[in-house]
Amino acid sequence: MDRGVAIALEGVHRTFRAEAGGEVPALAGIDLSVTPGDFVALLGPSGCGKSTLLRLVAGLDRPERGAVRIESAHIGMVFQDAHLLPWRDVLGNVALPLELLGRDAAVRRARAEAAIAQVGLADAARRYPAELSGGMKMRASLARALVTEPRLLLLDEPFAALDELTRMALDDELRRVWRAAGLTVLFVTHSIAEAAYLAERVVVLSRRPGRIVLDHRVGLPAERTAALRADAAFAHETGVLQDALRRGGALA
Amino acid sequence: MNRAALARIAPPLLTFVVGTALAEVVIRILDVSPLLLPRPSAVWTAATSEAGVLLASLAATGGAVLLGLLLSSTIGVAAAVALAASPWVQRAFYPYAIFFQIVPIVAIAPLLVIWFGYGPRAVVAAAAVVSVFPVIANTLAGLLSVDPNLADLFRLHGATRVATLWKLRLPWALPQLLTGLRIAAGLAVIGAIVGEFVGGGGLGIVVLAAMRQQRTDLVFAAIGYASLLGLALFGAVGLASRLALRHWHASEAKR
Amino acid sequence: MRRAWLAALAAFALFACERDDATLELALNWKPEPEFGGIFEAERLGAFEKRGLSVERTGGPGAPVVQMVTAKQVTFGIASADEVVLARDRGSDVVAVFATYQTCPQGLMTHVARGIDTLAALLAAPGTLAVEPGLPYVKFLEQRYGFGALRVVPYTYSITPFLRDPSFTQQVFVTAEPIAARRAGAEPKVFLVADSGYDPYTAVVITHGDTLRSDAARVARFVEALREGWASYLADPAPANARMGPLNPEMDAEAFRLAAEAQRPLIEVANGAVGSMTEERWAELAEQLTALGLVKEAQPPERYFANPESLRAAGAPHGRDGSRRR
Repeated sequence: MDRGVAIALEGVHRTFRAEAGGEVPALAGIDLSVTPGDFVALLGPSGCGKSTLLRLVAGLDRPERGAVRIESAHIGMVFQDAHLLPWRDVLGNVALPLELLGRDAAVRRARAEAAIAQVGLADAARRYPAELSGGMKMRASLARALVTEPRLLLLDEPFAALDELTRMALDDELRRVWRAAGLTVLFVTHSIAEAAYLAERVVVLSRRPGRIVLDHRVGLPAERTAALRADAAFAHETGVLQDALRRGGALA
Repeated sequence: MNRAALARIAPPLLTFVVGTALAEVVIRILDVSPLLLPRPSAVWTAATSEAGVLLASLAATGGAVLLGLLLSSTIGVAAAVALAASPWVQRAFYPYAIFFQIVPIVAIAPLLVIWFGYGPRAVVAAAAVVSVFPVIANTLAGLLSVDPNLADLFRLHGATRVATLWKLRLPWALPQLLTGLRIAAGLAVIGAIVGEFVGGGGLGIVVLAAMRQQRTDLVFAAIGYASLLGLALFGAVGLASRLALRHWHASEAKR
Repeated sequence: MRRAWLAALAAFALFACERDDATLELALNWKPEPEFGGIFEAERLGAFEKRGLSVERTGGPGAPVVQMVTAKQVTFGIASADEVVLARDRGSDVVAVFATYQTCPQGLMTHVARGIDTLAALLAAPGTLAVEPGLPYVKFLEQRYGFGALRVVPYTYSITPFLRDPSFTQQVFVTAEPIAARRAGAEPKVFLVADSGYDPYTAVVITHGDTLRSDAARVARFVEALREGWASYLADPAPANARMGPLNPEMDAEAFRLAAEAQRPLIEVANGAVGSMTEERWAELAEQLTALGLVKEAQPPERYFANPESLRAAGAPHGRDGSRRR
């Protein structure tokens, strides 16, 4: 059932040139190994380089030092904003990755409709982004990420801009999709509660330049429900993560 | 739809009617010479009694404007795409694009006639020259403002540069492009008329001949026709804009 | 609020008020050239001061002289007789007081090499004709001869297109472009429009009817000063040419000399004073413009002009047509 890919980051450094001159080190030596099918949360304060890490994994960026080893596979990516093309309807947006890969129209349509159904957006397939709520746009973005049946799903604080109820609904949606498809998920967040609720494993990064402060397997059941958030075990997990953040200088 | 259309047209129509009535009264009371400022009624008489000549001239000028706009929008978009390709290209060539904005058309119209000969070709060239820069500037701004995350998404899925241009960057720049076109339309009318002063034909010649013959009322009538042309173009671009962008905005979607 | 009203009132007054009595403004309709030689000579001789007049020159190429005189922004202006007839037909009360050119110096110029001998042949032949749009004499020629295969284009005051195109014809002032063309190496063949029967007075000094009625004596003195200037200029153009030279860098001394020579026969009056006009000429012009459809109704010829003799004699109302139009 584990269709996901393995990821290996070895001694990864990434430094940016600042506009005013000088250098900004974003990542200072990251060693990370992700097993196929794992759900990993990257937790850290703003500017700690977690988005940079995600982009390195996606292949959108290259490290100056070190290596990113990942099997060649379809990758799906979801950003903080849904980033849908306003001139296409939901179906057209979701089908976009397949279009770019050159699949023919019939295949595109079938797979897009399946992905839209998968995220519970079937009624809105013909609607345009301007007519959708924030939550629906994010579902569409998720469907777009899933349409190529990827083996790796990368998410960069996707639910941060949504209201709490929608966020909770989408959290559950995401875990459901993950469990059904068995792909590897890398989820960037600055929310301790979200990291604990969603992930199997949480990697805590320090303040810039980002280093791994904690690599922690979450001790919570596989079935995550809303009631879990009130649990003592949940509080324990968030406590551990909060500690790690403090050590990494996040709460200083 | 009827009520909405009425609400849109009624106010400017009202100001027009009140304005011209006021002008008519004031000009009569002050007894201003028709050589200096003709009464609106005199302008109306000229506009209707010479409608044949004016309409024919309007058609000539309008045709040149449309061709000129076709040229400037095609060249403008192509130039914007080329400039957006790399910061180096932009730095090297954009300053020269600005030349088209600042060069006074009155000065280069005679050059255009030398190069393209008398007649419609020089007029089309004049219309194109004055209207190309807004298209370049606005389209370029649109192309450069593409959402970087979307650009990343396209890269992630291995899109070619052409695919990214067609499916992302040009559609993304469309609102700005249409804004540029709206500005270009008005400028093209000016450019065409100035071109006609030197190259011949159309409303430009009607204006010159009317001035030579002390027909200030006809000058105003010709200007009125030219304004209608500008208005029509403006409206056409606005319509195209609303159609093309109807899905973009929540407010448009409600209609 | 009060300041705004005062400002508006002041602007209105500025726009509507009469000229200051002390200075007389004369608006030219072109650059300083031998066609204005008499004016500059009168200035040089002090002809205006002698008669108690203070004259200021203004205007230039493209100046809307007829409008300026109609609005009384200037006292006098230079226009052509057909402009006077047209303006009066539109309701403007402008009147001519001095006609520099007895014979109209407008013409058409083409290349000798084409072997064309008559205006009729010229206009029947194919080629390009560059004229200012709307010129009455162009309409006259078109009506009389027809333009056949000619392509009519705007004239933009440059002889370059003429020099480059062997089948080009353009409008000219016989004292100007043909001389320049010859000096540029071309062989121009010039046809005088006057020879075809259309012959308006040209470089005419105009003024407002109200000025004539209220100040006939001063206008008469102005015209006499002009006559003095022209008589002197015709005798010897060199000094006035030297004064005009720096004001018109496009023409050199030789061009001034040649132009002054060429215009002499067009200005001199056989038995009469320079600048005087006749009713017959004005009547004919008004009739021609009516026939061309450029004018709704010809006015009685005496409305169009006034010679200084009549001004001195009557001392009074001239050309009043009863209406209140300015």
